[in-house]
Amino acid sequence: MASKNRGPQRGGRNNQPDPITRWIVIGMVSLVVVIGAVFTVVSNRSASNVALPPGASAADGYGIVFNADKSPTINIWEDFQCPSCKRFEDTNGAKIAEIISQGKAKVVYNTLSFLGPESVVAGMGGGCAADQGKFREYSKFLYDNQEQEGSGTWDKPYIISMATAMGLDETKFAACLNTDKYRKWLTNVSAAGGEANINGTPTVVIDGNIIESDQQGINYYTPEGFNAQLVKYGIN
Amino acid sequence: MNNQVDGVKVSSESPLLSKRVELLDWLGLFARLTLGGVVFVAGAIKIPTPYKAAAAMRAYELLPNSLASFFGYILPWFEVGLGALLILGVFTRLSGLVGALLMVLFIGAIASAWARGLSIDCGCFGGGGEIDPSETKYLQEIIRDIGLAICGFYLYYRPSSRFALDNRGK
Repeated sequence: MASKNRGPQRGGRNNQPDPITRWIVIGMVSLVVVIGAVFTVVSNRSASNVALPPGASAADGYGIVFNADKSPTINIWEDFQCPSCKRFEDTNGAKIAEIISQGKAKVVYNTLSFLGPESVVAGMGGGCAADQGKFREYSKFLYDNQEQEGSGTWDKPYIISMATAMGLDETKFAACLNTDKYRKWLTNVSAAGGEANINGTPTVVIDGNIIESDQQGINYYTPEGFNAQLVKYGIN
Repeated sequence: MNNQVDGVKVSSESPLLSKRVELLDWLGLFARLTLGGVVFVAGAIKIPTPYKAAAAMRAYELLPNSLASFFGYILPWFEVGLGALLILGVFTRLSGLVGALLMVLFIGAIASAWARGLSIDCGCFGGGGEIDPSETKYLQEIIRDIGLAICGFYLYYRPSSRFALDNRGK
């Protein structure tokens, strides 16, 4: 080094080099980085022997399946907290309900939960609602009453009160949500989303083809725009 | 202690020289805190939402899907670690070089996304993924990363700086 006696002289007045502190710091930093990285990779891996809500199917990205024997297959990847998903559901929810009730296609709802802890609570609640056969109704109710993303409103007691307000059995729903019954199911959905290259929500996939809005002139935030995509696959 | 500078015998205690050294040390601190601070914050923002980070990485379409997800999961932690080392001033020379090379990598990735006509957010500070073509900010992102890369390369060539743990015992 070109000069001496620069910088703070903490840790004694001796002029000996002090590599030990540096090695301790780099050791601690490396430890945190390695543990954090390993934990993140492991905790986002798909697991087997996971409790699945009724209707969920591993072959369909762990999504909740309606009309399993129909074709084509529409996968809808959503996060309950995402504002664009609300826009999509507000616009096309009725159409999708019609497709399901009239058996025009197989519809799979893949619940992602990547917008923070509220998404995880709401997503687990989706599984609990499916336990009572009301996933679609729960989903609609949440989108109708969506809070600002990341506002912290959607904690467990709040989601339980919402589920009760829309007519689910409070005791059963609370027991399901409070025990994190479907936390690992959500992780599996997310891992499947990664494998399926789902990089945003909402993402609609019809027969394996990712149809992204705002790309190549596709806009499914209008009924006409969404119907135009459906027609390509013979859904009227 | 005397040094030979330009054939003239000057003391290292010469006010002009030590003034310049002191100034460069403050510049080193600035480079450390700028690069380290940005990288640390960028990593810390992404840690709570690993799926988003992985999705942002996949959206570049540069790596096979599973590998992109893997790097998306670990990059935020790596950034936090690197940022901490730079802020504390530990192994400044190496940390600066690694930070600069990381920025070069980012610049390459963003430029390639731009060249291939993708419309994605860089996902540098959370966010990421496909966005409306009118919302892309490739040029700003690249200019910012060039500035940060300069900070890193500067620290590689002149690692000495104020308030660094590297100074202990000197």
